[in-house]
Amino acid sequence: MSSSILVEQLFDAAALAALLFLVSVGLSLVFGILRVVNFAHGIFYMLGAYVGSTLVRLTGSFWLTLILAPPIVGLIGAALESSTLRFIYRRPPIYQLLLTFGLAMILEESVRVLYGVTARSVDPPVFFQGTVELAGAVYPRYRLFLIAAGSAVGLALWLFLTRTRAGLLVRAVAQNSEMVGCLGGDVRRVRTGVFGLACALAAFGGACAAPMTTAYLGMGINVIVDAFVVVVVGGLGSIVGSMVGSLIVGAAQTWGGFYISEAAMAIMYAVMGAILLFRPWGLFGEEE
Amino acid sequence: MSTTRREFLTVAAAGGIGVTLGAPVFLRRAAAAEPIKIGLPSALSGSNAQYGTQAKRACELFGKEINARGGVLGRPLQFIYEDTGGDPATAVRKAQKLVEKDDVKFLTGTVLSSEALAVSAKCPEWKVILMSTINGAGQLTTTAWHRYFFRVNTSGPMGARAVSLYLAESPMKRFFALGSDYAWGRDSVGSFDKQITAAKKDVVGKDYPPVGTKDFASYIAKIRQSRAEACYMALPGQDATIFFKQASQFGLTREVKLVTEILELENLKAVGEAMTGTIGSSRYPFTVDTPKNRDFVKRFHAMHGIYPDMFDGETYEGLEWLAQTIQKAGTADDVEKVIEAWEDSTYEGLEGPFFMRKCDHQAVQPGFVVEAAKDPKYPHLIPKILATYPGDKVTPKCRTEDFA
Amino acid sequence: MRRACVVLLWLICGLLVAAPWLCARHQLSILTELFIFGLLALSLDLIMGYTGMVSFGHAAYFGLGAYAGALTLLTWQLPIPLALASGAVCAAAIAWPIGYLSTRRTGIYFAMLTLAFAQLLYTIAYKWRSLTGGSDGITGVPKSALWWAGPSLGTPRAYYFLVLVTVAVALLACWALVRSPFGRAVVAIRENERKFAALGRDPARFKLIVFVIAAGFAGLAGALFAPFRGFASPELMFWVLSGQALMMVIVGGIGTLVGPVVGAMVFILVQEILSSYTEHWMIFTGGIFVLMVIFLPGGIVGTARRWLELERPG
Repeated sequence: MSSSILVEQLFDAAALAALLFLVSVGLSLVFGILRVVNFAHGIFYMLGAYVGSTLVRLTGSFWLTLILAPPIVGLIGAALESSTLRFIYRRPPIYQLLLTFGLAMILEESVRVLYGVTARSVDPPVFFQGTVELAGAVYPRYRLFLIAAGSAVGLALWLFLTRTRAGLLVRAVAQNSEMVGCLGGDVRRVRTGVFGLACALAAFGGACAAPMTTAYLGMGINVIVDAFVVVVVGGLGSIVGSMVGSLIVGAAQTWGGFYISEAAMAIMYAVMGAILLFRPWGLFGEEE
Repeated sequence: MSTTRREFLTVAAAGGIGVTLGAPVFLRRAAAAEPIKIGLPSALSGSNAQYGTQAKRACELFGKEINARGGVLGRPLQFIYEDTGGDPATAVRKAQKLVEKDDVKFLTGTVLSSEALAVSAKCPEWKVILMSTINGAGQLTTTAWHRYFFRVNTSGPMGARAVSLYLAESPMKRFFALGSDYAWGRDSVGSFDKQITAAKKDVVGKDYPPVGTKDFASYIAKIRQSRAEACYMALPGQDATIFFKQASQFGLTREVKLVTEILELENLKAVGEAMTGTIGSSRYPFTVDTPKNRDFVKRFHAMHGIYPDMFDGETYEGLEWLAQTIQKAGTADDVEKVIEAWEDSTYEGLEGPFFMRKCDHQAVQPGFVVEAAKDPKYPHLIPKILATYPGDKVTPKCRTEDFA
Repeated sequence: MRRACVVLLWLICGLLVAAPWLCARHQLSILTELFIFGLLALSLDLIMGYTGMVSFGHAAYFGLGAYAGALTLLTWQLPIPLALASGAVCAAAIAWPIGYLSTRRTGIYFAMLTLAFAQLLYTIAYKWRSLTGGSDGITGVPKSALWWAGPSLGTPRAYYFLVLVTVAVALLACWALVRSPFGRAVVAIRENERKFAALGRDPARFKLIVFVIAAGFAGLAGALFAPFRGFASPELMFWVLSGQALMMVIVGGIGTLVGPVVGAMVFILVQEILSSYTEHWMIFTGGIFVLMVIFLPGGIVGTARRWLELERPG
C-alpha cells in the first residue's frame, strides 16, 4: 500500500468529513437547543445548493454566493419556524418531528417546481479548479478548500457559542429556557435565531457541496441519514461532537468503501446502532 | 280494459317513433370519437422524475400529432398520467386504477425495474398490454415474461453488448467495471464481464458503490490503483453525473477512458464539458442521421424547447409502433388481436428498422455506441455516433441473456 | 348524541360488509389496500399510543411480513392463513432481539435505534438477492386458497373479506389487550416509568412484549399486502414508509386504536386523489399535514372523541 494512497485516503475522509460537519452541526444545534429533530434539515442543505447555483449564475462570483446563500436560506428557515414550529414546542417531540416531515415534503416539491428535474452544475472559482500534487497523489484543490471551509466554520461557531454574549444566551436557553424567560431574555427570538442559523449552516454546506456533487433533487433526503448518524455518534447538541462525529463517519464511509465495499451500505447503520447501544448520548453529548 | 289497451298502444307507438327518430343520434354518439386510452404509471416526482418526464414529453408530442391527423381508427388517443413517485406499491395501485377505473388497455411509462416487474406481473390477470419504453431489466423478457408484455426499447443486456462489441475491437485491454449496487448495476457489470472476457480482455477490478453515493473518491482511487485503461460504468442518472464530475476533478479522465452503460443528455447537460470524450451506449441518440429522425428532432425541439433524450425517443417510437399495430389489428379493444398483430411485425423507427420477436416480445433494433462531443450548433455536448450495430448482432437469443 | 354515534358506527360496519356489492371494482381494491395499511398504523399505535415509545423503523416488520408471505406462497403454495401466520411470526421473531436491544433505551435514543436496525434489515433485504430478489423484489406472488382444496381467495370480493375480517379481529385483539391487566400495566409504564420500576417490576420486559406483538401485527399486514399487490420489495421496509406510518397514526389520533386505521385511510386517499389532479400533490399533502399537526393534535378520531365528550350533558 503506497503512501500516496494513504495520504489520499486521509484527505478524502477529511473532505467528506468537512461536508458532513457542515450539514450536521445545524441538526445538532437544533436538537441540543430546541429539542427538535428536524427532518427538513437535509432540504435546507439542498436549498443552499440550488440557491447557490442561481446566485453563481447571477453574480458570477462563488465567494459572493457563499456569503449570500446562507442568510437567504436562513431567513426562509426562520420564517418557517416562527410560522409553524413555534406553536407546538410544548407538545411531545413526535409532533415537532412530523411537522418538519411535512415541511420537508412541501419544500422538496417547491424546489422541483422552481428548478425542474435536471441537476444544476456549479463551478468553483478558477483557483480551486484543477489539481495539486500531494505526496505523489493528484488531488483536487476544491476538496482542500472544503476542509478549510469546514474547519473555519467549526471554529467560528465554537467561538460564537463560548465567547460571545449571544452565544451565552443561546446556551442558557438550552439549559433552562424558563429561567432565561424569567430573567427577561427573549426565548422566542433565540429559538427562531437558532433555527435560522442551523438552516444557514446547512445551506452553506449545500452551496459548498454543489461544485462537488451538482445541485440535484434528492440530495437532501440522501444526506439526512448521514447527518443523523454523525449527530448520534458525536452527541446531540455538541459542536465538538459534530466535528469528531463527522470525522468518524467520513472515515468509515471512505475507508469502508475502499476496503470492504460490500458492506458499504450497512456500515453507517451499524456504527449508529453500536453507539446508541453503548453510549447513546454520543461521544461528547450530555448524559441525561 | 279497452282504455288500458288504447293507452298501451299509444305509449308503444310513441316509444317506437321516439326510438326511430332518436336512433341515429344514439348511434352517431357511440361511433363518434370514443378515445383510445393509454395509461402511464410513471415516476413524475422523486429522484427518478427525469425519466417519467421524458415519457410524458414523448406522449404529448405524439398525441398532438396523431390526433391532428384524425387519431387511430378514427379515434383520438388519450393519455392518462399517474405519478408513482418511483415506488412499486404506488405503481401497482396506480396501474390498477388505470385499468379498473379508467378502462385502460395499454400501459406504458414505467420507470424503475421494480415498478415494471410488479406491474407486469399483474397484466395477465388484468388482460392489458404493458409496453416498456424505458425498462432495461433482463428478466422482463426472460424469467418474468408473459405475452402481455412488449419491450420496444433496447434492454440492459443489449446496451452492454453494444459497448462490449465496440471495446472488443478497440486496442484497450485492461478494464475496471463499476456498477451501482442494485439489480441493473450488478447485471450490467456481469454482462460486460462475461463478454469482455470472451473477447480475451481483462477486467482488472470490479466495484459496486451503493445507490445514492455522493462521494466517489475512494472508488476513483481504486480505479487509479488498478491501472485500468478504461472504466466501464453502470450507474443510474444522478450517480453517473456525480461520478463524472468528481472523476474529472481528480484528473482521472486524463488517465482512464470512461465508458458508460447509458450516455444521457441529462448527464451531458449537468456535467458540461468535463465529459468530453466519454463513450457509452445510447438507447436512442438524437443525432441519428436519418430524414425521419432529423424531422422528429426538429418537431420535438419546436414543442419542448430542448433536444430529445434517450427515453423521449424510445417512448415516441413505442407509441408510433403501438398506434401502427392497433391500426393493423383493426381494434383497440380486443387486446388479443393487438398482441397477434404486434408479434413478428416490423416498424421503421427513428433509429432504424425494428422487429418485434414473437418468442419474447423484445424489439430487435440497432445498438449505438456514442461519444460525448462538442458541437457549436448545440448548447450542450451531444452524443456523436461512433458505431452502429445491426439488431441481430446486439439482441440476445430468445428468452436468454446469451448472445450468439 | 351517544346513541347517534353508536347507530352511525353500526351503519358504517354495515356499509363495509356490503361494500363489494356497493362499490365499483376499483373502489373495492382501494378499500382493501386502505385496510391493510390501516392494520400497519394500528400496530404502530400499540407502541406509540400505549407505551409512549416512538418507533422510526416500524415499516421494517411490514416488509418482513410481506417477504415471508411472498416466499411461502410462491415456494410452497400454502393456504393464505398459513402465509399470514408466517408473516406475523417471522416479523415477531426478528422483532424480539431488536426490541430487546432497543428497549434498553428510551425517547429519542430508542427511536434512533429502531431506525438503525430497520435500515440494517433493509440493507440485508436489498443485498440478499438470491432470497429476496434484491432491488427488484419478488413479483408474481399468487393469491391462494382458504385452506388446502378450499375456496380460492383470488377474487377481489373474497380477498376484501379476508382483509376486513383480519383487521377486525386484530382491532378487537388490540382493544382486549389494552383493557387487560397487562395493558393497564403498560399504560402505567407510560405514565411514570420510574414509579413502575420502583414497585419492583421490570418495565423493559413489558415494553418488549408490546414491541413484539406490534411487530407481529405489522408483519400480518405485510403478509396481507404481498398476495394482494403480487409483490414484495425493499421499499416496503424503508424509513420513508415508517415515517408515513407515523403520520397515519397522528392524523388518525394516537392511542385511539381505531384512529390510526382511519388515519391510514385518510392519508392514502388524500394522496391518491391529489396525485391524480396535480403533479405537485406533495405540496398540498405536506401542507394539509402541517396544518393538522398544529390544529388537530388529537387527530381525526381523537378530536372527534373530545367533541363528543364536551357535548355530553352533565
